[in-house]
Amino acid sequence: MFASKRLSKELSKLHDKLPPGISLICADDLKEWLMDIRVIDTNPLYQDEVYRLKFVFSQSYPIEAPEVVFVKDDEHPIPWHPHIYSNGIICLDLLDRQGWSPVHNVESVCVSLQSMLTSNTKKERPPGDENFVKYNKQRPRDISFVFHDNQV
Amino acid sequence: MPPGNEYAAEQLKTQGNAHFKNGEYESAESYYGQAIQKNSKNPLLFTNRANARLKLEKWEDVINDCLRSIELLEENMKAYFYLAQAQIAINHPNEALSSALRAYELCTQSAQQTSNAATISALVLKCKKAKWDIRERERIRRRADLLSDLDASLEVSYKKEADDIEARIEAGDIGNVEGIEEKKELRAEWEKKRDDLRTAFALSDPQMLGKREVPDYLVDGITFEIMHDPVVTKNGRSYERATLIEHLKRNPTDPLTRESLTVAELRPNIALKEACTEFMEENSGWVYDCEDGETDHDTRWAHLSSS
Repeated sequence: MFASKRLSKELSKLHDKLPPGISLICADDLKEWLMDIRVIDTNPLYQDEVYRLKFVFSQSYPIEAPEVVFVKDDEHPIPWHPHIYSNGIICLDLLDRQGWSPVHNVESVCVSLQSMLTSNTKKERPPGDENFVKYNKQRPRDISFVFHDNQV
Repeated sequence: MPPGNEYAAEQLKTQGNAHFKNGEYESAESYYGQAIQKNSKNPLLFTNRANARLKLEKWEDVINDCLRSIELLEENMKAYFYLAQAQIAINHPNEALSSALRAYELCTQSAQQTSNAATISALVLKCKKAKWDIRERERIRRRADLLSDLDASLEVSYKKEADDIEARIEAGDIGNVEGIEEKKELRAEWEKKRDDLRTAFALSDPQMLGKREVPDYLVDGITFEIMHDPVVTKNGRSYERATLIEHLKRNPTDPLTRESLTVAELRPNIALKEACTEFMEENSGWVYDCEDGETDHDTRWAHLSSS
């Protein structure tokens, strides 16, 4: 019930100022936004690439986590990461029902993803990526991920 | 009361609820009315009828029903909630505010405070805004009076001096060209004074000054809005009670530290509440406008409908 008010406030803050490497692409309504992120250090895995994120908000945002996935198109690949499936679905505790907290926001999620990429050194997909991508019909928020390692 | 009447009233109420649910408020009102004739001692029958009458916008009847319901049951959140809505509709914001505050108080005291708190919070804000609007209108009217009085007196003295010059031209004390020149100067002087006066009034209007921004320390970290009933958690952070409870229902942890946190552990932050109230009183006009939002009233109040 607070979603639209809170999102319009977040939006005006985003228009004001954004951290380096993060930009707002599209926020035509208060349901679905597109954000672009790129890493700002020299991690060779991600140089010269820009990744596009899609945020989908429910009516209960920010009490409920937004649904956040990478989207792929001609200019935007899906970044290599052992917690990012090749269809763009992200396995990050912050975005999970239990790990989410309403004090997070669109900007802080982008920053977390940025630093998740920055600190990664493995050009890998999660184990079972091929099967997951092929058979998964669930929406990201309904999947219960097992957070098996906290190192990456 | 003859035996069986209580049962009959209960039956009629159930029918009333069914009609209410279908949006047939007039027949719901009439079923509740019949139920009340059978059993006039049940406060719920009055609040249900009040709710139907709210939909029908029969404000005076809503108020009567609520007052009768409160007579039967003093700690009556719903009755105060409907009462406040009717009072605000008939433009009695002071009464509405005290009813809404009473509803809020009862709601936060009750065991299942939760979701109603947010709805009632919104109503409290609406009442405060209505109250502020009236004060503001008065203020503008008073100021406008003062401005137009001063404006008029400037004009009167200008006209008088202009007439003097006219008279001196007539009497031959000064030449025509000279007189016209003098009148032109006089006019310019008057126009300048008038503009200065209007500028001064515009500048002294607090609405024109200052940044329209609520300081971060008065803003709830969940809704990003100014708080009206802040509560403090174990780590010293404060949040709006209603929204934090919403979060704790799903996840009983501190939003920042993720330590376990329950509703019972929350404490009101009285000093912060006063700071918020003071800020709102000084800046109400625009703060409340932000608060209002585009929330759909019907869905917002849906969960409070008949039981």
